[in-house]
Amino acid sequence: MSTRKAESADVALVLEGTFPYVSGGVSSWINQIIRAYPEIRFAIVFLGSRREDYKEFKYQLPDNVVHFEEHYLYENLNAHYQPAKRDGDPQAFKLIDQLIDALHQGPDHPQTMEVFRQVALEMRPGGKLRLEDFLYSQRSWEIICSVYRDHCSDPSFVDFFWTVRIMFQPLWLLARVASELIPVRVTHCASTGYAGFLGGLLEQTRGTPLVLSEHGIYTKERKIDLFKSEWIRDNRNIFQRDPTELSYFRQMWIHFFEWMGRYCYASADPIIALYEANRLRQVADGAAPERTFNIPNGIALARFAPLRTQRPATPPPVLCLIGRVVPIKDIKTFVRAMRRVANELPGAEGWIAGPAEEDPSYAEECQSLVRSLGLEENIRFLGFQKVEDLMPRIGLVVLSSISEALPLVLLEGYAAGVPAVSTDVGSCRQLVEGLDAADRALGPSGKIVPIADPQQLADAALSLLNDPVAWQAASQAAIARVERYYTDTMMFDRYRAVYDKAFRQAPGAH
Amino acid sequence: MINLKLGIAAVLLELGAWSGPLLLGGQTDSALASYLLVHALACVMLSLFLFPLLSTRQARPRLAIVLLMMVCSYAVPIAGFLGVLAAALVLRLYRKPATHTDFESLQMPEFDQHQRRQGHFRHAGLRSFLGNIHAPIQSRLRAMVALQYVSGRTASPLLRTVLSDPSEDLRLLAYGMLDTLEKRVNSSIDAELSALHAAQEAAGNAALRTLESAQRLSDLYWELIYQELVQGDLRKHAIKESLRYCDWVLAEQTDNAQLCLRRGRLLHEQKRPDEAAQAYAQARELGLPATRVLPYQAELCFDRKDFAQAHALMQELAQWSALPRLRPVVDYWSGP
Repeated sequence: MSTRKAESADVALVLEGTFPYVSGGVSSWINQIIRAYPEIRFAIVFLGSRREDYKEFKYQLPDNVVHFEEHYLYENLNAHYQPAKRDGDPQAFKLIDQLIDALHQGPDHPQTMEVFRQVALEMRPGGKLRLEDFLYSQRSWEIICSVYRDHCSDPSFVDFFWTVRIMFQPLWLLARVASELIPVRVTHCASTGYAGFLGGLLEQTRGTPLVLSEHGIYTKERKIDLFKSEWIRDNRNIFQRDPTELSYFRQMWIHFFEWMGRYCYASADPIIALYEANRLRQVADGAAPERTFNIPNGIALARFAPLRTQRPATPPPVLCLIGRVVPIKDIKTFVRAMRRVANELPGAEGWIAGPAEEDPSYAEECQSLVRSLGLEENIRFLGFQKVEDLMPRIGLVVLSSISEALPLVLLEGYAAGVPAVSTDVGSCRQLVEGLDAADRALGPSGKIVPIADPQQLADAALSLLNDPVAWQAASQAAIARVERYYTDTMMFDRYRAVYDKAFRQAPGAH
Repeated sequence: MINLKLGIAAVLLELGAWSGPLLLGGQTDSALASYLLVHALACVMLSLFLFPLLSTRQARPRLAIVLLMMVCSYAVPIAGFLGVLAAALVLRLYRKPATHTDFESLQMPEFDQHQRRQGHFRHAGLRSFLGNIHAPIQSRLRAMVALQYVSGRTASPLLRTVLSDPSEDLRLLAYGMLDTLEKRVNSSIDAELSALHAAQEAAGNAALRTLESAQRLSDLYWELIYQELVQGDLRKHAIKESLRYCDWVLAEQTDNAQLCLRRGRLLHEQKRPDEAAQAYAQARELGLPATRVLPYQAELCFDRKDFAQAHALMQELAQWSALPRLRPVVDYWSGP
């Protein structure tokens, strides 16, 4: 908790479920950015799901964060008073009818975004579309019933009713946040989704320029979550079900996040991705191509360069996975790979350096996998560690993630002269093998393997650890690559230009 | 229910009707009137008395039947009275109630295949469809979703091929589905391991509870192999573990034919043909049906390049017609 409050700020950072409460790649990037521009006064708007999910700050707020506020989207779902029947504003509900029609026209229909923006506008405090009307009015009930009858392919009305309520309710909270936020000159979102919606709303209502930097692709990640999630029910019976069709509620959530993304893309300029594949993905999801470009991550070389001299002459047989113990990092594949590494190279160790509190049940699964594979001697869960302390003692940085953007840990390893073995996700191939011809000429700085393939991951690691010449070559390539393409000064210069341009568009805070 | 009072009343009234004019002794109008009145009353009583004797089907329409009985007994004095009584009794005693017509037997409804919306993929087409990277992503995504309803043994090799697909969405979905399959087995293994430790501590290594747990563990590790959820060194590890628990149980229960077969297959996988052959033979001796064991024995002979023996075993297998899926193989081997 922080009580920093200010009258106005230069940049409002809208952050959803990340800095300063959660540690990880995006959070440390945000930390880097804030500290890089001490002259800019930042306001942070943190959005979370429920207050109890976020205990304490993982980062100390830099001094140039002058304002901090936090809001929880799923906190106040229950009414605190006895609700009464309401009529609702007929005009507002006419707008809703239009929106429903427009949404069924498909995403590319030009009018759809226009109606969507109008609806967003009316959700603000004092607008025609009030939260109470959505929750308790007769007209709202009728609309929900008729949409259920016309479109819902799931038999449960109760589930449909509550899905609709829970899905849309947080938007009113965001509309209130947007109207009460202190005056700022520029809004900067680190993702689409709810944060992006808030950014879009600020742009729409106050004309505040919106800068969007996406690390992962929010919509895609939500989609994957939703495909896998077990909490969304499918009440269709075996005769009603087409096995190739997702459950209706799943589709509802996916479309919801797709639209939130579109709304944000419509307001944001520029739309920044970390690397080309993600930029193309943004364009496919509705971003205007001319507003998009890439700014890769960069790291402070000065922190890591001195570590190179501390390294032993031969690479220590230690494979280190630096990352949170969460499913997306696929720690289990790393553990399984260690089974083979330990078979072939008996003294080898696998270290997992990262906090395990975020997903305790997954951490427990990993621990029990270690036991069931008999790897208690070979694998160590270190918890959160300072990267500088680890680097001189490890032989390889391993990344077994199933999804990444442009992982900082690979760059940090490179700066300390440690090659990497990584799965073929995000921009990892570009980081290991090089992007253009000049980059490729530096040689590979490690190995790339397919996801969820412990055998190949182990073989790739063994081929580097057992061959000091190849390891040295990879290490040299790593150092050369990070120095030429991925330093923080390059990143800061490019973001400086982005901010300057945005400030020019908005001379004063409003 | 028959009301006897009504019957007695009817008889008494009828007697009264006849005795009335006699007692009055006259042939007056009033005597006739009193007779007709009392006779009518007696007829009403009689019909009400007899009515319940009729079965439900015969007694419809009620009012008309009652009226008919009344009119008959009224119009023909004495003979009508007795006639109605006789008719009711005959109907009651000699006509069996036609119960079978109470229920109509219906044809069983047939499930109409056309009511169900046809899926977009035939089972056989799924593999090539998923493997075709030029097919639209949305359709392939739907094909993947359909795999949720396919058994793990069929689904997991398919999913594994998609893991290196260019589309990240598909890759992640495939990963998620494989992970779910594997998690299911692994969490059961975990639970069973703690059950085994608990049983071991409470009852010792040879207790029934411990052995049951060990057998289940052997089953579960085998499931990982069978569903092709583990590969390479992990597969070796699963085979080793399954065999370890299998041996544990067999040490106590030497006559467990099922586990003997499992042991044979595990040893077969470990490339220990002699021991595997022995285990297969033992499984057959213990009474496992030939159709269950013969295919593996034949496979083992083939692996050892003992083609004559493989041929002989296939001939033996050909006598059993219980294995439709093996039919082509059997046919091939039993050819001239």
